[in-house]
Amino acid sequence: MVAEAAQRLSANAEIRDLSSKPAARLAAGTVNRTSPMNRRPFALLAPPLLAILLLGAVPLVLVLVWSFWTWDPATYWIKPDMSLAGYSAILDAGRWTVIVSTLLKAAGTATLCVFLAFPIAYVVQFLSGPRLQALLLALITIPFFTSYLIRSFSWRLVLGRTGIVNTMLQHIGLTQAPVDWLLFSNFAVVVGLVASYLPFAVFPLVLAFRRVPPDLIAAAQDLGAGFWRAVATILLPLTFSGIFAGFLFVFVMTAGSSTEVQMLGGAGASIVSVMINDVMRVANYPLAFAISTVVLAVIFTLVLVGNVTFKLSSLFAEEDR
Amino acid sequence: MAIAIDIQSVTRAYGPIKALDGIDLAIKAGEFFTLLGSSGCGKSTLLKLIGGFDRPTKGRILFEGRDVIDVPANKRPVNTVFQNLALFPHMTVAENIGYGLKLRGLSGAALKAKVEDALDLVELPGFGPRGIAMMSGGQRQRVALARALVMEPGILLLDEPLTGLDERLRQQMRDEFGRLHRRTGATFILVTHNQDEALSLSDRMAIMHQGRIEQLDVPAQFFARPANSFVAGFVGIDTLLKPERIEQHSDGLRAVIGGQSLRLRSPMGSLGDDSLVAIRPDRLRISESLDGADLVLTVVGTTFRGLQTDVHLAFADGQSLVAVVSSDSPSATLAHGARVPLSLLPDAAMLLSGLGMPPAA
Repeated sequence: MVAEAAQRLSANAEIRDLSSKPAARLAAGTVNRTSPMNRRPFALLAPPLLAILLLGAVPLVLVLVWSFWTWDPATYWIKPDMSLAGYSAILDAGRWTVIVSTLLKAAGTATLCVFLAFPIAYVVQFLSGPRLQALLLALITIPFFTSYLIRSFSWRLVLGRTGIVNTMLQHIGLTQAPVDWLLFSNFAVVVGLVASYLPFAVFPLVLAFRRVPPDLIAAAQDLGAGFWRAVATILLPLTFSGIFAGFLFVFVMTAGSSTEVQMLGGAGASIVSVMINDVMRVANYPLAFAISTVVLAVIFTLVLVGNVTFKLSSLFAEEDR
Repeated sequence: MAIAIDIQSVTRAYGPIKALDGIDLAIKAGEFFTLLGSSGCGKSTLLKLIGGFDRPTKGRILFEGRDVIDVPANKRPVNTVFQNLALFPHMTVAENIGYGLKLRGLSGAALKAKVEDALDLVELPGFGPRGIAMMSGGQRQRVALARALVMEPGILLLDEPLTGLDERLRQQMRDEFGRLHRRTGATFILVTHNQDEALSLSDRMAIMHQGRIEQLDVPAQFFARPANSFVAGFVGIDTLLKPERIEQHSDGLRAVIGGQSLRLRSPMGSLGDDSLVAIRPDRLRISESLDGADLVLTVVGTTFRGLQTDVHLAFADGQSLVAVVSSDSPSATLAHGARVPLSLLPDAAMLLSGLGMPPAA
């Protein structure tokens, strides 16, 4: 018996070596990794993977590499190097304050968007029938249908000295003269940014809310929780991945925005993308890429930390209930 | 501790549709009461009103004589085991059970002791630190029960809590409900579409249909005296025959079906033209000889059901009924077309008002 089993084992070992015969390997119990069925996902993924590599990864690597090159202001010429000149130029000319203010503005806008998106997602997911839900989601996508330029410009008409808001305020007698800080100010910039990027916060939150059975809120209330308590102890923890994803989306989009700031910001308003643009005009690519690298590093860190802490991937995971 | 509930002409309308239509119902303190009905009959809506998750359009709901319509769910002495359990997935078993206690201000050792008592009560000692995802279906059921019972509610609502469990677990949890009811003494209200659950657990039950209560009684009465043909069908008296006519004889009413006359138990209240004759399968016997048989019917088929076999028997007019016989009796193998004598035990046939009629007074 034992000898027979040993013989069979060694026979199996031989079969395993005949890797050209899938059936034999299946019989020997090895995983069939190269079968057509298992190869298909990679074949399907190849074109997008190639696109991401060529259009995403390669330029990013170039940005990183060129940020260490040196720039000659006399000839506007750049040459290969391993210099930190670009990075020190960020510190020297106070350009870092623009980076910091951009990141702060992005964080502020993202926070505001999340605060606004949370009740929207609640209404969409828990208080709407299927038809109202579809209508609300369609309304939320409206900002996508117009260009950023036109949308920003239309805010000028709303917020300007002779805009709708000022006319209304004067008409009902709340103010005598037009309110100046409505336009060409940080306020106007944030209004424009929120209006543009709010949908990016709403959709991940709706996705996160969809994974929360409405019965959980009822259960919390059944056990004695008031509405706000139920939101804080049940809804908030269960939708944190969505909150963070929404924050991140808006943060990234805002950090890279330029139109809203240029159209609605005051004379002194600056933002990273505008600064990069200015530097590029004099062909100082190392500095431009150094700034880009710093901002990218901040964003990548956020994504990594977020993914570990809040399990962003769970937002798209199969429902486990 | 147990609370009596008085529901007075409660209506809940969604636009033109009345989910509940003038419900009057008094549930005694400490009673195990069941609302039985198919989906859409209004039983879950009624449960929501008692739990405080919804408001009636009209009518009053009293707990121990006090109107509670304006009392929100989180302030009512009611706890619920939800249909899909609604356990908090981001909390451990102990955190789930302790959730309500914490809101009451319990903490530390007192909280821990109560949670452990609750785990013992549902026979899950030591499961506190586990995540919900690690619990099996039956264990989750017990956690949901513990989470509600640890609050020591005056009323426990069970909203179809056994759906989605396999038959063995269902049986086990059913016994568990009975045990916990005796143990806690709270008023239990079970909502279900499963008549077995209702019959085995309830002190009293109500069968609901289209927002109304068709019959309200102790379980045995639903078989002895079903209020109408809907109730009879719902509790498993499937044979409902349309009589040619009803005759008044010296020994009581008789119905004529397919040319044969059968004795009826006297009906409750008045009956309309749409009355049906219900026949209890457990009160039919296939007799040996044609002498003295109450009915003689033709076999149209048999269905083997394991220990028992259904024998389908037809009247001359094509209407048929089912007699249940032991699978090893000779009757189980009767040939198609055979003529079979039947005797009817007392109360085998009764006259009932037609489907969807309001219950007889």
